[in-house]
Amino acid sequence: MEEWHLLTSVQKVEAPEGFEQKVMAQLALRKRRRLRNRRLSFALAGACASLVVVLLAVNFLILTPKSSPDFSGLERDVPPGFFPGQWERSRTIPITETINYSGEIRDLSHDTRTVYILERVSDRADTKTIY
Amino acid sequence: MSLKKVRMEEQELICKVQEGDEVAFGEIVAIYKNKIVNFLYQLTSDYEKAVELAQETFMRVYFKADRYRPVAPLSSWIYAIASNLAKTELKKMRRYNHVSIDDVKNKYAEGLSQQEDRESSGMIKKVKTALDLLHPRYRIPVILKDIEGFTQEEIAEILKKPVGTIKARISRGRTYLRKELEKTPAFANMSGKN
Repeated sequence: MEEWHLLTSVQKVEAPEGFEQKVMAQLALRKRRRLRNRRLSFALAGACASLVVVLLAVNFLILTPKSSPDFSGLERDVPPGFFPGQWERSRTIPITETINYSGEIRDLSHDTRTVYILERVSDRADTKTIY
Repeated sequence: MSLKKVRMEEQELICKVQEGDEVAFGEIVAIYKNKIVNFLYQLTSDYEKAVELAQETFMRVYFKADRYRPVAPLSSWIYAIASNLAKTELKKMRRYNHVSIDDVKNKYAEGLSQQEDRESSGMIKKVKTALDLLHPRYRIPVILKDIEGFTQEEIAEILKKPVGTIKARISRGRTYLRKELEKTPAFANMSGKN
């Protein structure tokens, strides 16, 4: 006798009463859960995107430093070789310093014997020197 | 109704399910519910667990319907899902070694069995117990072949294994089954008579 032939006679069971209804109810439940999860994931993605936008806006409007004054024109007036390391020009920080010369010059107009020696200071050739 | 026609109808049903048709899904459940519950019961020896896994199987059929390719019969695909779920559950339960039919308290199974009287005689019960002792690697092909009536090619399709492997597993499973049953004196006497 082939013992596995007995296997065809082993106890067979059937699905319980209302199995289909249970499956359909579970299906509806799962569908709702999936929909809710999808909505949640969309909401989460939207919140993340909004946060990124806000962070970018904050970075651009608040944290970005004000534009520094443009000193690029200064270099044109500087004679060549002024900067010792031309290759380090990019590292050079231009500094402008206002100096009040009024205290450096003595007013001698009351002394009639005063001789003024004027020095040409302009580098423009067409400017006449007036004594 | 011819087998080909049945398969055609099943293909139509699953195509409808792929489009989200719940009525078609209900028809598939109606066709397969008893087969799947029984198959899972033979694997787990726990009726409530079998029903629970069968429900999960049908959930997967609905939600993974778009993954079904009509190269294999629908039954093979559904059994493959059920088989994978059962394997996972068996691993979880660590019940590979032994599950005695005596331990199974099954209120649903009462009255459902048409073979209860024969089981009480002991022989079939012993076969089932011996079957439960088999490792799932052999138990699943043996159940699919000898209880569910699938061909070796269909089992190979369900378990995603070569036909040769399935043949070997069925053969080895039967050998183990025979050895296990030979330990039973009543069966040994019966075999001797035959």
